[in-house]
Amino acid sequence: MIHITQHENGITVVRPGVERLTAVNAKTFKDETIALINDGSSLLVIDFQGISFLDSSGLGALVGVLKRIGSRGELVVSGLSSEVEQLFRICRMDRVFKAYGDANSAVQAMSENL
Amino acid sequence: MTSTLFHMRNDLDEVDGMVTSLKAHLEGHLSDDGLFRFEICVAEALTNLVKHAETADLETPIDIAVTVERDTVVVEIFDPVGAVPFDLNANAVELSDVDLMAESGRGLGLILQCADKVHYGDVGGRNRMALEFGKAAA
Repeated sequence: MIHITQHENGITVVRPGVERLTAVNAKTFKDETIALINDGSSLLVIDFQGISFLDSSGLGALVGVLKRIGSRGELVVSGLSSEVEQLFRICRMDRVFKAYGDANSAVQAMSENL
Repeated sequence: MTSTLFHMRNDLDEVDGMVTSLKAHLEGHLSDDGLFRFEICVAEALTNLVKHAETADLETPIDIAVTVERDTVVVEIFDPVGAVPFDLNANAVELSDVDLMAESGRGLGLILQCADKVHYGDVGGRNRMALEFGKAAA
């Protein structure tokens, strides 16, 4: 399901690989991303480019991934559509996740903070 | 007023397709913001039904009625046959009260926040959630 791109400095861009991240696929997304963390990735960009819809299950999965990373790394998001961004705001996730316009901007910002 | 009846198999795999169909049905009747709020509400309501409304009869589809009136769009979602009704007021949690780091528990709060009106109760012997959306900004 997820697509992974490894960058320098150990930053990994994860694309969920679906158009809608919802109850039907949220657990798979969470399990596969947590497996990535367990394998040593702790600097993650979750790139939402191409995702048109996110429900509360998808959001919950994202929070679960963030909790798994905890203090050993960082997780940011990128490429939010206006609808996904609106859901983030309604659920106050804009206070939890740092968001970037696209994955490259996120990787660059994350690199500069290392 | 026009009313259209939809049927969805009681299966999580069916939810996204039904939500997309319902949204397409309402193109032109709701504003972009209204369609967004509609999509969120219906996705959460149908997911909740499939995941939590226990029924011994999984073969009977879930009925959904969409009514387009002059000023509003109303979607009625009927619980599966035999499902135990839930107490909307007792289960209602404001999104602002949900822990930011919670991994679940936002569905009903999203419905209450995004729909203009929410009703739940017995209608003709069936449990039904009715969600109303104003067309003012369409």
